[in-house]
Amino acid sequence: MPQGKGIKFITYLALTACSVVFALPFAWVIVTSLKPVEQTMTMPPTWIPKTYYIESAGKKLEVKKGIVTHEAGAILTVEEGPREGERLFVPNSQLKDGKALLQVQIADKVVQGYYPVDIEKEVQPGWIQVIEKLPAQYEKTEPYWTFVPPGKIVEKVKFWLRNYLDVFVKIPFLNYAKNTLIVCILGVIGTTFTSALVAYGFARIRWKGRDFIFMLTLSSMMIPFAVVMVPLYGVFKAFGWIGTLQPLWFPYVFGTAFNIFLLKQFFMTIPRDLTDAARVDGCNEFEIFWRIILPLSKPALTVVALFHFLYAWNDFMGPLIFLTNKDTYTLSLGLQVFQSQHGGTEWHLLMAASAMVILPILVMFFFAQKTFIQGVALTGLKE
Amino acid sequence: MTKEEKREFIKGILFTSPWLIGFSIFVIYPVVASFCYSFCYYSVIQPPRFIGLLNYKDLLTDPIFWKSLWNTFYFVIFMIPLGFVASLSLAMLLNTKVRGMAFYRMIFFVPSLVPMVAGSILWMWIFNGEYGLLNNFLIKMGIPNPPNWLMDVNFAKPAIIIMSLWGLGQTIVIYLAGLQDVPVALIEAADLDGANWFDKLWNITIPMISPVIYFNVIMAIIGGFQIFSQAYIMTGGGPQRSTTFYALYLYQTAFEDLRMGYASAMAWILFVVILILTMLVQRISKESVYYHGG
Amino acid sequence: MKKLVVFLFATFLAFQSAGCADKEQNSDTVKVTYWEKWSGFEADAMQAVIDLFNSRKFRNKDGKMIRVEMSTVSEIDRRLLTAVAGGNPPDVAGVWTWIVTTYAEKGALLPIDDHLREAAITEDRYIPVFWEICRYKGKMWGLPSTPASVALHWNKRLFREAGLDPNTPPLSIQEFDEMAEKLTLIKLPGQDKAISFYELKTRTNYKNLLGQGMIIQMGFLPSEPGWWPWSWGYWFGGKLWDGKEKVTADGPGNVKAYEWIRSYSEKYGVENIKRFSSSFGAFASPQNAFLSSKVAMVREGVWMYNFIDKYATGMDWAAAPFPSDGGKLKDVTYAEADILVIPRGARHPGEAFKFISFVNTQEAMELLCEGQRKFTPLKNVSEDFYARHKNPYIRVFRALAESPNAFITPKMVIWQEYLRELNFAYEMTRDLKAEPKKILSDVNKTMQKRLERELEMSKRSGEKR
Repeated sequence: MPQGKGIKFITYLALTACSVVFALPFAWVIVTSLKPVEQTMTMPPTWIPKTYYIESAGKKLEVKKGIVTHEAGAILTVEEGPREGERLFVPNSQLKDGKALLQVQIADKVVQGYYPVDIEKEVQPGWIQVIEKLPAQYEKTEPYWTFVPPGKIVEKVKFWLRNYLDVFVKIPFLNYAKNTLIVCILGVIGTTFTSALVAYGFARIRWKGRDFIFMLTLSSMMIPFAVVMVPLYGVFKAFGWIGTLQPLWFPYVFGTAFNIFLLKQFFMTIPRDLTDAARVDGCNEFEIFWRIILPLSKPALTVVALFHFLYAWNDFMGPLIFLTNKDTYTLSLGLQVFQSQHGGTEWHLLMAASAMVILPILVMFFFAQKTFIQGVALTGLKE
Repeated sequence: MTKEEKREFIKGILFTSPWLIGFSIFVIYPVVASFCYSFCYYSVIQPPRFIGLLNYKDLLTDPIFWKSLWNTFYFVIFMIPLGFVASLSLAMLLNTKVRGMAFYRMIFFVPSLVPMVAGSILWMWIFNGEYGLLNNFLIKMGIPNPPNWLMDVNFAKPAIIIMSLWGLGQTIVIYLAGLQDVPVALIEAADLDGANWFDKLWNITIPMISPVIYFNVIMAIIGGFQIFSQAYIMTGGGPQRSTTFYALYLYQTAFEDLRMGYASAMAWILFVVILILTMLVQRISKESVYYHGG
Repeated sequence: MKKLVVFLFATFLAFQSAGCADKEQNSDTVKVTYWEKWSGFEADAMQAVIDLFNSRKFRNKDGKMIRVEMSTVSEIDRRLLTAVAGGNPPDVAGVWTWIVTTYAEKGALLPIDDHLREAAITEDRYIPVFWEICRYKGKMWGLPSTPASVALHWNKRLFREAGLDPNTPPLSIQEFDEMAEKLTLIKLPGQDKAISFYELKTRTNYKNLLGQGMIIQMGFLPSEPGWWPWSWGYWFGGKLWDGKEKVTADGPGNVKAYEWIRSYSEKYGVENIKRFSSSFGAFASPQNAFLSSKVAMVREGVWMYNFIDKYATGMDWAAAPFPSDGGKLKDVTYAEADILVIPRGARHPGEAFKFISFVNTQEAMELLCEGQRKFTPLKNVSEDFYARHKNPYIRVFRALAESPNAFITPKMVIWQEYLRELNFAYEMTRDLKAEPKKILSDVNKTMQKRLERELEMSKRSGEKR
């Protein structure tokens, strides 16, 4: 243990510096979840969610920024021709005597010509386009837009908490959360108990073939999931489980190689004397496991439970392959809905949903890590 | 077998029986199936057709196979020692007695909670050549021409290594659990003997947590050889195949080209490689890992 | 030990009862499941078509009502594959163009020729290229939903600023390159005003100046957005294979195209370009190189309008056919379409086809394509469709798709591998790490070998059947 004020100070400094690096992504997730979509992917990245508004006819109008014009021109409405009624911006170079040079489609051809227009407002170079902010991304109604000098745009910090509500509108978040919890909890209970049992068999009982089977167990972790995926799909299909939640937790009820390995390592560090004494008292093997080893292994069991919970919570491949019905989607799969190719990802919603996915486990970890410390304290290993 | 041995055998089998059942259905069967596929022309949809060693023969002359193997080795070779040093030192920091430790520990665990897609996008920003946080920092530190990480053949792999180091939360937690098991009495005794920090680390801490180190190194080998998501999302294997890792190429052959037989052959080669490495580590560990119980 | 046995037995029983089969529908409706790859507004447009279909209460041969239900499925190619392999596919799936070839070859799709005959849906209803996309080995494997073609998009303001006529697009690659030089602006150290590359070129020692300066705007960049780098050969009269058994990656057209890509790196400098392009934001953002007026000309698809509308509202732009080498070929374009297919193992193929054919009626197709902001693949189009359509250049894209020089993704079983090889060759060429001729001939050799192997396998399986 480092002693003295200097060392303590350095420790704090190092901890804080590293924390900043490690916390960055989470901060970014949170910040992005509080932005409107057009502020999410800016370059360079911005960290503060904002809102912009202009005063229009004495009223505040919430807007988003569009392009910056580099040339003088005018906002106008076309008065005649095929594009009659259209409101657009035309640079001065294409304006002549109250007429604007426009491209129009006549039959299959695109042609151009001068058409009379009604000028609404002159625009100077450097002005910024502002577009009325509508609640949804694609609205049926056209948003109002205009050009204003940069000074006219009022900027204010605003956290777009609405994104969190929108998540619930867009996806059945609670249903997905329920499915995820089912998968997580059943998996955690199953794998923690069974893996401990099996690990005991590997760690504390000497039997023929043990090392070989353990080696097999270990090596099974090295097989890429992609390759066992297809035969595995066949197995679950034979069980009639495709599209249900079973494939996501049932296999883990038999224990998992990783957890068995981890627990075996822990069990091996528990002194033999402790168990030998119990054996003399007439305990059978299961009682030794149940009454002595398990209570001593609380921290390790917590680790296993936590790891499996995390794994099941974040697992994407499994749900992607085995779930075919929307009603059984888990959260990690449900988040995909916010990604679209040609429409662009709805980052703000994706991040809001991600934040809601992350937060519960973060809280859980915050409390579970205390159990580590307590558990370690009462293992009684320090003779 | 003596009577005693028989009894122990039955006990062992009974304790491990749930695993043996699950293992046979969910691991052995699929693995054996994939082993058979590796000798077949198999598109997943049509029934596999036996073609002997053709897949393995083709693999030997496939330049991308070799390239991806090299990329993966590169990653593992750098990632294991760096990951070991980074996660152990962070775990040691987190094992000190300072206020607000629960909070710090939580922070270090955050990266392993951020969904992969969100994490990768964030790092694409950090690594951005012009606006990236990393390069801005480097320029401030007086490095005039920092690399354009993900777009540079020589820096794309290091970039992915850096990102992987950041996601070490789980490893850190395991080390932390191990460190807390180191008896205080031993440290105190060493203090009395006037041992310095490094002596204590080398002679007490490391030997005491050697089972944990062994565990984490094995996991790092296994995880390292299967590196996939970061490259899949951030670089797609480029630039110029410098991040085409083995698992990525395997995925491409299996699910983009529908060459499941070929992919299975690749998987088996990978399997053998990892197996050999693990056995090596195990041999070394037999000599140097210390168990209280054993 | 007793406890253990009891526990195991109890868990076993518990899980036995947990597995249940999917519930069957009530008997007077048939549920057709449809997998859609889009989410967002494209999915909304498809949902509108499905609602229309369901509201019409179509019935199948047994008099049962057909009801379509859509799910949005990410990574559709892989999930469709596992679903078909597992015998649990949807009845209809909307897939990418390239999937048709591979999946038809591997027997993952049902041919729909009999259905087409019965419904009297014939080739002459479609723009030829989109019918062609759905055909493989003489059979039809699906019908198109929304199509796309690609064209030159340019920024009219930047044209004006560079002294070019904003309403006249280039007619040949050579003209295009010269315009690109005029549109490329370089800021030299210590000078306020940027000068164009066209001007800089005339100075002695301009290469040195270029190295010191900074590119702040480019006329064109082959890597922006860098999609379909394999396809440039088609603008130079090249082809990627002979359609049967010969790979022609190193044909003169393709080599010329890759040399053209190389010329951009040589002209402007690999490092300069890299520095410049790292200032671009994500594609779907206002910082997109084209949308933020950093690159003046791009080759993009009909969907680009959506992004202009959303991220650069009011931008002054235009679209026209991308010029070809020497202007020899007219209206070259890459055409693709989303395709509705019936996977092998679908439970209700007849009903599935009913839905597909409904989508391919003029009414439904126009509803869909207007919603997804594309043009329709059908020959008959109502004037109303164009009048309502938001993309002012929609006819340009439509005309391109109708051109005889519209090409499609090569129907090769090894396409995905070939694509990766060509992309690799592109990257090497762009970064001046390889000679186009040499690397393309390497690609050719590797892929020829791969193709021969696949053809051999395909022949062998043909004999077996």
